[in-house]
Amino acid sequence: MEFKTFVFYFLSAIMVFASLRVVTARNPVHAALFLVLAFFTASGVWLLLQAEFLAISLVLVYVGAVMVLFLFVVMMLDINIDRLREGFWSYLPLGSIIALLMVLEMGVILGGSYFDILEIGVPQTAAGESNVQSIGRLLFTDYVYPFELASVILLVGIVAAVALTLREKRKTKLVSPATQVFVKAKDRVRVLQMPAEKRD
Amino acid sequence: MLENYFPVFVFVLVGIAFGVMPVLLGWLVAPNRPDSEKLSPYECGFEAFEDARMKFDVRYYLIAIIFILFDLEVAFLVPWATIFKEIVHTESVKWFGFVEMIVFIAILVVGYVYAWVKGALEWE
Repeated sequence: MEFKTFVFYFLSAIMVFASLRVVTARNPVHAALFLVLAFFTASGVWLLLQAEFLAISLVLVYVGAVMVLFLFVVMMLDINIDRLREGFWSYLPLGSIIALLMVLEMGVILGGSYFDILEIGVPQTAAGESNVQSIGRLLFTDYVYPFELASVILLVGIVAAVALTLREKRKTKLVSPATQVFVKAKDRVRVLQMPAEKRD
Repeated sequence: MLENYFPVFVFVLVGIAFGVMPVLLGWLVAPNRPDSEKLSPYECGFEAFEDARMKFDVRYYLIAIIFILFDLEVAFLVPWATIFKEIVHTESVKWFGFVEMIVFIAILVVGYVYAWVKGALEWE
């Protein structure tokens, strides 16, 4: 067996195991950490396809940022596992329909070349050029409009996150040093001229 | 082509060794005589006040999501930077290639200013 094939099967086995544990682990924090492992091995598989930009952005964006967010959310929710399992049977029909749809979609994509529906191959980059450059050239010429649209979506994300989570009033009374240094004595102290009063 | 990744592979191996070796050495070399007092949880010497599994403040979530969004912005900058030389040396797309990234960043700066003005970046 070729070394590359061995690495592929090694990474895939870890990925399948980690993905299974994501849905079967009882502790949600463990599930999130198994998802991190799945992302890592997926980026390894992408490196085997020589898609190094995607592989590294998967690690940086998903493992570095999205999974931190997931862990925060899991810790924020204060999940009670017994109460989570309450609605299992009532959610089962909808959940199984969605799962079936996803399996069908994956089947069409992965089995597409087998059934002659889709032509999928690994796109090859021109010789002597990294595929980061190829991505950049495509992204900034043919796909400029989606690229600018992506920034609008990110903007909506920022505004939505701030609007949703910054609701509560600040409890602490914060002293701002920047405004503090500009305070003059006359802003704080008022000198009053009062006539002396006569004592009875 | 795949041979070019060999340094990366070496880095990964060294990284794993760097993380695993201290733990392994500590496990092998250090004396291990546990008792119930040593293994009990403590907080600076006294009994723990409460369970460690408490709710996190929602502000951590806000910081994390703002980090993700600007992280993605930087991820978009990388392929642009790799072809930047090519862009400025091609007469037809010279300004187009520059301005499109400026527009991209300008749209995100709007979000940055919004988060700043709203006080989302302040940590009390």
